[in-house]
Amino acid sequence: MLTLNNIEVIYSDVILVLKGVSLDVKEGNIVALLGANGAGKTTALKSMSGLLKTELGEVTDGTIEFEGKRIDRKIPEEIVRMGIVQVMEGRPLFEQLTVEENIKVGAYSRNDTIEIKKDMEEVYQYFPILGNMRHRISGYLSGGERQMLVMGRGLMARPKLMLLDEPSLGLSPTLVKEIFRIIELINKEQNTSILVVEQNAFVALSISDHAYVMENGRIVLDGPSSKLKENEDIKEFYLGLSQVGKRKSYKDVKHYKRRKRWLS
Amino acid sequence: MIEFFQHAITGLMIGSLYALVAAGIVLVYKATHVVSLAHGQLVAFGALFFWLFLGGLGLPFWLSLVPAFVLTALLGLLIERLALRPLIGQPLFAAFLMTFAIFIALEGVFVLYLKGETRTLPAFLPEGNLDISGISIPINQLISFCVAVLLFAAVSLLFKYTKLGLGMRATAEDHRLAQSTGIIVKNIFSYIWILSAMVAAVAGIATANVMDIYYMLPYIGISGLIVAICGGLDSLLGALVVGLLLGFVENVGAAYLDPLVGGGVKDVAAYVVLLAVLLIRPYGLFGLVKIERI
Repeated sequence: MLTLNNIEVIYSDVILVLKGVSLDVKEGNIVALLGANGAGKTTALKSMSGLLKTELGEVTDGTIEFEGKRIDRKIPEEIVRMGIVQVMEGRPLFEQLTVEENIKVGAYSRNDTIEIKKDMEEVYQYFPILGNMRHRISGYLSGGERQMLVMGRGLMARPKLMLLDEPSLGLSPTLVKEIFRIIELINKEQNTSILVVEQNAFVALSISDHAYVMENGRIVLDGPSSKLKENEDIKEFYLGLSQVGKRKSYKDVKHYKRRKRWLS
Repeated sequence: MIEFFQHAITGLMIGSLYALVAAGIVLVYKATHVVSLAHGQLVAFGALFFWLFLGGLGLPFWLSLVPAFVLTALLGLLIERLALRPLIGQPLFAAFLMTFAIFIALEGVFVLYLKGETRTLPAFLPEGNLDISGISIPINQLISFCVAVLLFAAVSLLFKYTKLGLGMRATAEDHRLAQSTGIIVKNIFSYIWILSAMVAAVAGIATANVMDIYYMLPYIGISGLIVAICGGLDSLLGALVVGLLLGFVENVGAAYLDPLVGGGVKDVAAYVVLLAVLLIRPYGLFGLVKIERI
């Protein structure tokens, strides 16, 4: 449903960040986008949701298509109405608004009052904690609660595709598990496709159908998540595993900079 | 004692004008987080447009009111379209300076048109005084006082309970985040400038009701700004309370202190109030305190 076709992104007319990225999200799938800091993952997400423009970024080459329509020249407000919602990194909230108002803002692009009410109850079912603090000022929420709130707010737009930027950032392992369980649940129950950017490769690979690895503004590796999990390089660089049973010597540590290309 | 109440009431009437002027500044801030310095000019133009139709063309009250509102709203919209829309998503300080540029530009046009003359509105509200046990209240000022209070109530409800109000409050916090949730920030900017300009027209007409239109009229915007800051910039209630307070302090202060210090209390009062409030409450009397997570 979403196809990035060899896109190039330049910030402020000089900084080349994405150098020909192609990726594909199929309907109903969860797709993971992995990579080190500064690889260009967030930039890729922003190019899809249109938020690049407010940061002086621009898609200078290639195309982005969503359900057959080109969206790389569209503004964020339009893209939200077409069905793509980005849940930004760092969980930005409208801090002075209450939890319930935050969730309501998520439905701003819609006009069907009755359905909005229903969806709101649904969000509270996914995240029962939020239901208990509807009237609290959201600026005082904890990290986990904030993550739930931004996801709930994203859901209110009834997106066909949700872009999640590092949902596990700074959360305890139990909470990460919980968040990803809900992501899977949303994907199944709402049939929302999800593209998730993650540092926690292990969790991301275990819930996703397909995964891409980015480095230096390029996609260097992709494949079905189950297969990538077994990939030696992924194991080594992202999962921190070495071959079981063998003693590890620093002599043998492959430094990935030494490698000219990734093996898939 | 009666004398004190007389001064107090007169002060409150004047205070409602300050509150009205401040309301426009608060509105723009509440929806976009831009502090508008040019609001006094909008107020002055609102008054001038009204005069053009009522005094200049001699139209009846209601027929003058409508075009005055439309023209002021258009002026607000024009400011937004030409000067502020290109600055969406840019640092707020740029927008703040832009309003200063508008302040100077509109000021120039205003003075150029008036050329140092004054314009006086013909009486358009019922004349006479209401007498309550020795305290006399001019009826036309009482009407404008009531209009001010009603206007505050209406606008507060709009912000608190409507979808548009919610969108405005969200936009004020973070333009980019608002965009990402599907709020059309450009439209929010347009709406709030139109609304703020209309409130400015009300303020202008109410002000011209009690004083002449002359080249210093735009400077009521400075008093409005002081009131808005004291009230907390994003609080309508704050603007109303502080506006009334300022009118009270000015008038009562002038009545009792002027003979002692030889005059001028009225001009200093606003700044004394500002200083006192900001020393005690840096966020203003009713301002939202910035949330810091620990």
